[in-house]
Amino acid sequence: MRLRPAVVVTVMLLVAVVLQTTLFSQTHLVVPDLVMLCVILFALTRMRPEVVLGVGFLAGIVVDLLGSRLLGLQAIVYVVVAYLALRTRDRADVGRIVTALWVGLLSFAGAVLLFVVGTLFGENVVFGGGVLRLLFLVPVANAILAALFGPMLVRLIDRDATVFRYA
Amino acid sequence: MLNQPRDRTLPTLITLLVIGLLLMTFDVRSEGVGVTAVLRRGAQTIVAPLQKGAAFVVNPVVDLVDSLSNVATLRETNLELQRQLAEAEGQIVGLEDDLARLQLYEDLYQLEATGLDIGRTVARVIGQPSAFDGALYIDKGTKSGIAVGQPVIDTNGFVVGSVEQVTAGTAVIVPITVGHDEVAVIVGEQIGRVRSQAFTDDMRLEINPADEPILAGDRAVTASTSVRFPAGYPVCDVTEDAGPSADGLLTTTCRPYVDPDTLRVVVVLSWPPDPITAVTATTTTTSTTTTTIGGSTTSTTEGS
Repeated sequence: MRLRPAVVVTVMLLVAVVLQTTLFSQTHLVVPDLVMLCVILFALTRMRPEVVLGVGFLAGIVVDLLGSRLLGLQAIVYVVVAYLALRTRDRADVGRIVTALWVGLLSFAGAVLLFVVGTLFGENVVFGGGVLRLLFLVPVANAILAALFGPMLVRLIDRDATVFRYA
Repeated sequence: MLNQPRDRTLPTLITLLVIGLLLMTFDVRSEGVGVTAVLRRGAQTIVAPLQKGAAFVVNPVVDLVDSLSNVATLRETNLELQRQLAEAEGQIVGLEDDLARLQLYEDLYQLEATGLDIGRTVARVIGQPSAFDGALYIDKGTKSGIAVGQPVIDTNGFVVGSVEQVTAGTAVIVPITVGHDEVAVIVGEQIGRVRSQAFTDDMRLEINPADEPILAGDRAVTASTSVRFPAGYPVCDVTEDAGPSADGLLTTTCRPYVDPDTLRVVVVLSWPPDPITAVTATTTTTSTTTTTIGGSTTSTTEGS
């Protein structure tokens, strides 16, 4: 990965982590997983697939380090979501709504995977009453944000104003 | 013939998954201390200033939106608060009488305070790690005397959880509603334990052996046998009547007083008074305490 996209990706992830842990931790209806959203959208850029997987993994490690859960749990989830995104990205570049649905489905898959792997490792992911609500709120919020900002984010990383114009 | 670039996505995925599983296993084996604890502290130290800066900007906006959404009920809330204030002022007058009487008896019997008063540090909640992590960030850390393992309550004195990680300026709190650890409680005169449950905010209360039934509305408070919390702090209200089974086990559910998602301010207790004891308590996996109440012996095991 060249220097400029690397800097843009790092800044985006940092902003996502800070907004996730401050602003969106206090809004009870709008609860996206911004880092997961970024990782999914990176699959739409011209970044090499291995780099997208690596970025997803490292972003997950950072989120794990900042939280109270097992180190590596979120990293595994993000890397699998990134892989699914890379394998299905050809279907996403159709229109804004399709991109949003694609992001929503991948986010839902990520949330389910987090619950499954977390439960297998005896983590507290499923504890508390809000977890089932989150299974639906997070994908919906991610889908809405992807529809609003997804194309712009991809154009910013690729420095190509023509991509995702949805003529 | 053109050379197609090799697709190395799957081998990369498998490699990263293996590394992730190894990291998870290592974290489980090291029980959150050692290298992983240092890494967590380092990451939080780097991100904490950004979080504090963002919270400084974001919190007033969130508070404003909250206020606007509650503007319809503001008048009623104001009246209710005024009523509560009048009640509280009445209670303060009563307490001053009690304190004067206590002082009189202390002078009479030449008693001295033991110096074991619990220190309190008020902190603001500045966020949560992610949508799927119920932990809370607060804006106070070791500089304010906060240590790993210290209990946390809300401003009404209800149990919230305990400090899991701490940096110089921030700390991570794990609420009892999402944590693994059990809390030793006393309901009436029976000692039991509560722990969080999957997919619900209600907690599971177990008393073994139980001598008598407990009723919905009974209050569970932290027991003096607890190694994680000082005695007497309210934890939850029993939600269903329950009686002891043939083998003396009583299980029911109870609803915690605190909803961690709505907390803005918490109070960290400097308990136990010796911080070394606090850290030791958090690294112990379980502790079993045997207590005799009313002729019956009760064993309480509390994870930490």
